Amino acid sequence: MKTAKLTDSEYLIKTGKILRTKQMTKQEKYFEIALAGGENLNHEPGQFVMVSVPGVGEAPISVSSSPTKKGSFELVIRKAGKLTGVLHNLEASDTVGIRGPFGKGFPTQILEGNDLIFVAGGLGIVPLRSLINFVIDNRRDFGEVHILLGCKTPQDMLFGDEVEGWSKRTDVNFSCTVDRADPDWKGNIGLITSLIPGVTLDPARTFGVVVGPPIMYKFVIIELLKKNIPERQILVSLERNMKCGVGKCGHCQIQNYYCCKDGPVFTYEQIKYKKEAI
Amino acid sequence: MKPKVAFFDFTCCEGCQLQMANFGETLLEILKLVDVVTFREVMSERSEDYDIAIIEGSITTEHDVERIKKIREKAKVVIAYGSCATIGGINGMKNKFPLDEIKEYVYKDGAKYFPTILTRPVHQVVKVDYFINCCPVYPPEIVKVLKAALQGIPYEAPDYAVCVECKLNENVCMYDKGITCLGPVTKAGCNSWCINNGNICYGCRGMVSNPAKTGQMDILEKYKIPLDWVVNKVDMYNKPRELEEEKPKK
Amino acid sequence: MRYLLLKKENFNDFISALAQIEKVVAPVAAGYKNFSFREVKSGKEISVKYIPTILPPKKYFMPQKEKLIEFNKAESLFDAVLEYEKMIIFGVHTCDLAGIQCLDMVFSDKPKDANYLGRKNKLIIIGLECNDYCDEYASCKVVDNHIPNGGYDLFFTELNDSFIVHVNTGLGEEIVEKTRLLVPAEQKHLNELEDVRARKREIFKDEVNVKHAELAGLFDKAFDSKVWDDLDKRCVACGNCTNVCPTCYCFDILDNINLDFNTGDRTRGWDSCQTEPFAKVAGGENFRKTRGARQRHRYFRKFKYPVERYSRYFCTGCGRCTRTCMAKISLKETINALAAEQKK
Repeated sequence: MKTAKLTDSEYLIKTGKILRTKQMTKQEKYFEIALAGGENLNHEPGQFVMVSVPGVGEAPISVSSSPTKKGSFELVIRKAGKLTGVLHNLEASDTVGIRGPFGKGFPTQILEGNDLIFVAGGLGIVPLRSLINFVIDNRRDFGEVHILLGCKTPQDMLFGDEVEGWSKRTDVNFSCTVDRADPDWKGNIGLITSLIPGVTLDPARTFGVVVGPPIMYKFVIIELLKKNIPERQILVSLERNMKCGVGKCGHCQIQNYYCCKDGPVFTYEQIKYKKEAI
Repeated sequence: MKPKVAFFDFTCCEGCQLQMANFGETLLEILKLVDVVTFREVMSERSEDYDIAIIEGSITTEHDVERIKKIREKAKVVIAYGSCATIGGINGMKNKFPLDEIKEYVYKDGAKYFPTILTRPVHQVVKVDYFINCCPVYPPEIVKVLKAALQGIPYEAPDYAVCVECKLNENVCMYDKGITCLGPVTKAGCNSWCINNGNICYGCRGMVSNPAKTGQMDILEKYKIPLDWVVNKVDMYNKPRELEEEKPKK
Repeated sequence: MRYLLLKKENFNDFISALAQIEKVVAPVAAGYKNFSFREVKSGKEISVKYIPTILPPKKYFMPQKEKLIEFNKAESLFDAVLEYEKMIIFGVHTCDLAGIQCLDMVFSDKPKDANYLGRKNKLIIIGLECNDYCDEYASCKVVDNHIPNGGYDLFFTELNDSFIVHVNTGLGEEIVEKTRLLVPAEQKHLNELEDVRARKREIFKDEVNVKHAELAGLFDKAFDSKVWDDLDKRCVACGNCTNVCPTCYCFDILDNINLDFNTGDRTRGWDSCQTEPFAKVAGGENFRKTRGARQRHRYFRKFKYPVERYSRYFCTGCGRCTRTCMAKISLKETINALAAEQKK
């Protein structure tokens, strides 16, 4: 057996240096990461990277920052397994391995000029934030913008300061809801689906962008369809087990789609009849 | 400071500790990373001060219960080591009989001097952090688990059948040879060690978490294998799994 | 592109001559009607008449385990590596040639897989025709793989007292030149080859109650079939069907760190969509929870999804999945059951 070096391998990793971390909740930790040499990640909103700690493993993580942010990118990582447990122990100046960006992100060029309704449940805000901030940074290129957020309790709300910033903007219609409130909570209580009927929109020129836990999609999509938003204008981002990120290893397959390569962003039209999708 | 490791034996043959003693060069590498402070099989010194407790053997007496609880209190990390410690193992066959009956059978007139309880693997009595399976332990898995323990990360043994690894090793299936093998229901992770060497799988790693009941019955029927015969074979190592619900949460 | 002849009396010398050039692997009897591709030094070790090996020759193109990355954390070194071995694979049946062609499509699809393609470059493939069915499990006719369709450097067909050899590539020509045992075929040998093929057309009939072109259509309407409920009850999720499949290419990626806790590697190894953890995410959700859903996925990955992506069935008809299944889940019976259900 001989060994040769490969320069064109998809599995080569780049070194990412952690610039800043912040424990957001008990389970979620924020990381700002810069690639060596100040190289930009050059991602599209909605894409993901494979993050690794050599010797421990690798996992797909959505990029949470907008590509309009240069020089570094942001991730929010939930502690859910072996690798993410190790990642949670890392701090500024530690390094991680980065591959990517991978996948089809949100089609920003198609979205341009249209109205947008963002619906994020729980951790869904993490990938969706990359698009929301992209839209806000290029606000003139888009029409009406509605942001609907939902999470379990007010303490689970991620990016609180930034979310407050969105809510105060006059060019954004913002509302949010929690499943369980505390006495200080002034917003809505209830499921995120309850926020949709109250939104006034022009279905022909509105794109619905939905990201959240698997259970949420069905019900939110029903509400958006009731608003007469066409199926091809409803976008979702799906989570799957991924090992390679390049459409080979099979773990993320949803019928004929590789979630990592053909997604993670899909239109509802694409996955409507894919029974294993949502 | 190197972590201090102590080996303890409960009800077992101490063959798994022998695997460690026979580890050769890898043992020397491991000794660069840890200090072994107690290991009855290879050294006369002993210490009550340890970080990692490696437990061989199953829990079969009230005295065992007290002793393992004390070890758990002292150790930062507890590793169940070998089939007796991880799934009850051979000692679990005792659980097929009334305890008094089996005691009389073994010790005759001296039975009253040997109080006994149902055989349990260590995790059914105290919290276990890592499991090293097999009878005897499979050396590459010892290394994997020690690495995980020293890095403070979980070790996940595969949760699929031994058949998966056996097929990758391109062994001729035991069922093709007309021999019943427990590969289809037993957790992989041993790289089909026994079958590679011409033996069958005895199920010493414990069963996969979701064995296919109806499918397995189908197979028995097709190969005309009597059910009680297979149950006996599974029970040789796996009898104490019936007590699984009783295991402590902490 | 020419036909040559190897006299059977020269077969052993030919294999010995090959073994002088590179390592040679070929089908060898493993007992209990099992065969396996293994290294051989002489022709005597080879089973020229064999049924599909336990594992397909895929194992040489995409090893059960291979290193992708070697790392040294202290020095921030991460090298992408290719482990390879030059080899001549002798005796590959047409089903397995088709299997390799399928893998070629997958790993040449963008982004290209440097490990697979780099390794494939080092392998010489010598095909071998089946003049008759291997056994009742084969279904090579319905997927059109019973007759050679490229994918080899040399291709052997057994005639009465010789092998007729089709030279398909430059690499094949090099083998001819180095071994010096192949002589030009005469017209009578070409006629004999034509007779073999004519006889094959008589013997090989569609093995299922569905025509080649209708197979994909069968699966268009098969997603909610009751057939999968039946497989759900029978499958034991041992993963044998996928591990022996010449076109299954799913893999897992695992890290290994050495005891210095500094150097190590990242490897990939065959994985099976039939196992419980395959489609599970870290949060615990399993997107193909039942064995029936996983079996359905396997069939769709042979007869539907690749047709949409690569315009080709990824079942080669080798019959390995049926041969190896302890629960006796049969590919032919499954297809017939789907067809019967849709006729109702």
